[in-house]
Amino acid sequence: MSHCKTVEIFYALVPLKPWRDLLILRHIEKCARCQAGLASREAVGSLLVKETGADIGRSLWTAVEAALAGDSAGEGMNDRSTQLPVMRRWGWAVATAFLVVLITGFLLLKDFRPGGTASAAAVPVRFELEYVRVGGQPAHTVVYQPQGSDMIIVWAGTNN
Amino acid sequence: MDEQELIAGCLRGSMEDFRMIVERYTAPARALAMNVLGNRDDAEDACQELFIQVYRHLKSYDKEKSFKNWVYTILYRRCLDHLRKRRRSAELVKKLGRETILATPSNPGHSHQSRSLSSDLLEQLTAKERTALCLWANEGYTAQEISEVLRCSASTARVYLFQARKKIKKLLEQGDVSLQNG
Repeated sequence: MSHCKTVEIFYALVPLKPWRDLLILRHIEKCARCQAGLASREAVGSLLVKETGADIGRSLWTAVEAALAGDSAGEGMNDRSTQLPVMRRWGWAVATAFLVVLITGFLLLKDFRPGGTASAAAVPVRFELEYVRVGGQPAHTVVYQPQGSDMIIVWAGTNN
Repeated sequence: MDEQELIAGCLRGSMEDFRMIVERYTAPARALAMNVLGNRDDAEDACQELFIQVYRHLKSYDKEKSFKNWVYTILYRRCLDHLRKRRRSAELVKKLGRETILATPSNPGHSHQSRSLSSDLLEQLTAKERTALCLWANEGYTAQEISEVLRCSASTARVYLFQARKKIKKLLEQGDVSLQNG
């Protein structure tokens, strides 16, 4: 009696199925007192719905047959109908992957210049000189930017 | 006719063999669906979906395993889908307000005419517990066989069955007490 109570407490305290199964196998299934606390097969059976007779099967068959005929239009046991959603999912996955590759490629190649690096080409500030004067006179000017550098060298000299 | 012969016939495309399978399994399948769903209309739908799915997927059935268990596994999944749908629609109805429920002419999930007598009692159990209980009481299944249908371990199936039997016993005792008091 006290052992049954202990098992009940342990069952309630540890909600782990393997543990509970162990208690069921080791004690509850063998203990007459614990078994008395469970509904018998007969008692449960009397509560449950039971269906008998071939008529039910015949009436359902009509509906199933109509559904199958309308579904595959005589294709029979075709795997296509079951494979279609899977194929569609794969199609979407491939299309998405392709789109991702396309966008990534575009973003990478957008700033690419042959012979230069992307960072150099993507200098956000544009350097402009309207005119340069040396000694009050317009000067001969050369603007030079070394490759791969942000540095700009302006060389100016008199025209004469 | 032997079950394996019927299956072989279906695989060859014989609708007559498939009709025999449907007729053979309709009664036990509908009983299980009724006991899990607690509603005749939903049980009808679940059974119809079951046999359509059986027909479509018969090629994937493993002949080494029990055909009955395979059928019951599909049916159990269909029943779970119906319960999910019912829960979603109940949530929607709840959102729309109580007036809408009263205005609805017939709520398929709660029609008193189509409910089984024990559905109120079975509502106290989870779908897994109901399935385990039904297979145990109606079909004489063991925990191992129940586990094959529920796709869980035998120990888990044993726990579901134990809990279900315990709950039912408690509810029956409470019912007796209330009857005596009333």
